[in-house]
Amino acid sequence: MSDREQQKINHNPLLKIESVSKTFGGVQALRNISFDLHSGLIQGLIGPNGAGKTTLFNLITGIYKPDDGRIIFDNQHIQGRQVHELVRIGIARTFQNVEIFGSMNVIENVMVGRHVRSKCGFWGAVTRVPWMVREEKNTFDNAMEILSFVGIEELAYRKSSELPFGWQRLLEIARALASNPKLLLLDEPAAGLNATETRQLGHLLKKICATGITLLLVEHDMSLTMEICDRIVVLDQGKKLAEGTPKEVQSDAAVMAAYLGVEG
Amino acid sequence: MTQDRIIYGIFFLVITAIGFAVENHYYLQLLTIIGINTLLALGLNMLMGYAGQISLGHAAFYGIGAYTTAILTVHYNINPWMSLPCALFLAVLVAVIVGLPTLKLTGYYLGMGTLGFGMIVHILFREWSSLTGGASGFVGIPPLEIGPISFFPARNYFYLVWFTVLISFVFCKRLIKSRMGRALRAIHDSENAAKAVGINTRNMKLEIFVFSAALSALSGFFYAHMVSFISPESFSFLVSVKIVTMVVIGGMASIWGSLLGASLLTMLPEWLHSFSDFEMVVYGLILMLVMIITPQGLTRGILDIYERSRTTKNKP
Ligand SMILES: Nc1ncnc2c1ncn2[C@@H]1O[C@H](COP(=O)(O)OP(=O)(O)OP(=O)(O)O)[C@@H](O)[C@H]1O
Ligand SMILES: [Mg+2]
Repeated sequence: MSDREQQKINHNPLLKIESVSKTFGGVQALRNISFDLHSGLIQGLIGPNGAGKTTLFNLITGIYKPDDGRIIFDNQHIQGRQVHELVRIGIARTFQNVEIFGSMNVIENVMVGRHVRSKCGFWGAVTRVPWMVREEKNTFDNAMEILSFVGIEELAYRKSSELPFGWQRLLEIARALASNPKLLLLDEPAAGLNATETRQLGHLLKKICATGITLLLVEHDMSLTMEICDRIVVLDQGKKLAEGTPKEVQSDAAVMAAYLGVEG
Repeated sequence: MTQDRIIYGIFFLVITAIGFAVENHYYLQLLTIIGINTLLALGLNMLMGYAGQISLGHAAFYGIGAYTTAILTVHYNINPWMSLPCALFLAVLVAVIVGLPTLKLTGYYLGMGTLGFGMIVHILFREWSSLTGGASGFVGIPPLEIGPISFFPARNYFYLVWFTVLISFVFCKRLIKSRMGRALRAIHDSENAAKAVGINTRNMKLEIFVFSAALSALSGFFYAHMVSFISPESFSFLVSVKIVTMVVIGGMASIWGSLLGASLLTMLPEWLHSFSDFEMVVYGLILMLVMIITPQGLTRGILDIYERSRTTKNKP
């Protein structure tokens, strides 16, 4: 990339999706999607089942490569880069179907989340050099801090697979936070939570946003989405249907028709 | 941490005491073989038990360790302590070359891939007669010595092998309790989630595969210099399966399980001699029973029984 081009994208949004498309076999999961995500906001991504929300997450996190279009994160083109590299430059995620490390206890799960911010490898581990011992302690302290930030520090030594579902969701968020992300992608974090848990989740997401982390949130729970999101993008059958503040989106006739099932 | 130290201390004392107490050379050699098999099982357990990647070809690395040192010391008159790094290096090199493509596979496919690799290496040992002595084997591998200390007497060799086992245990335990160990277990639990937290799963799997291969080669080195005669049959597919069985019977993801599994599978044939013709049947039955009663392996099974007896005792 030339310097001029680099200049042009400086001071741009944290994440820029530019005419991204993706097909699976015959299914066009995403067609020509573009939108920006600015630092420090909570942005919602909503749409009916099969709209392509998870697919978009998989493109941003590098699991799939877009067929077409560009994804720019923090002034770097990231389409086609490896998943683990993208975590290193600041993109973390949670999964629609919670994926925690079931054989480990809670604190270990969060310590794994710290992987990209630590570097002890094979030789460091076997020789137990002082810097490695220090790093290990930092990893532990940091994981503890995150657990208490999320509010589950008393679960630190519980086996993660034995936790109730709601806590597993929080654990997954804690693990994602451990990588010090700039951007956190949450795929239906409220699914399976009861009303109280959902409300608490809403507070937590705002608290995360307040620490300077930008959030992109896929969520079916409309009251949560409308309450905490600064902006919302609506997808339907792989196309972008609308974009705007929660108010604007709610009053959009096309959204009403396609998504909320209300005839405009 | 301190608890670990105490356990290693006890282990050290046990090794020393056994070395002192056992006079019979045959038993000392049998115990040494157990030590060698423990190294093998430990190596595979790091790969299989912790990282969750199966290998049905580990006898190949065992054989590479044994044949490399045999060829270098006999054909080229190289000091065994110089041939050891060569053997380890060759095993590492082969592990990288084989691991890069095969570790992309998962589950059954990885099993098939490593199985094929093990068979190819076995055929090489058998057919490359000019170098390996072919099917009739390789004789005259020199014993180990350091200056005036010879490891030819069974007792010295016993100590050499078992203190190596002790050191390997310490290293493996450290590895497991590190950032890398956590990453390996993460891969075992969910490779997708492991990637999503930023683990370079391909490199991580390769690293542990290589380490595992190196431990197997070390084991092969000790074996070759102990028995002084090796043949391809010691490194066949059946041996690969035996190593897997040691890990599974002893307990996956358990360092002490490797010791237990290796002991059981080495001793069992000795005990079963009296069954003569039915030896293999009884052998198979015992293994089946262990798996049915404690599917998590013996170590887990024993711990469970211990914990259960404690909780029932604590009840009023
Ligand atoms: N790996 C894949 N292979 C084939 N088709 C896929 C794959 N991933 C997604 N799809 C298809 O792409 C479309 C979009 O799916 P996606 O999972 O992105 O939807 P979603 O918006 O997350 O839906 P939901 O609300 O149900 O989670 C669907 O038709 C789906 O079947
Ligand atoms: Mg989805």
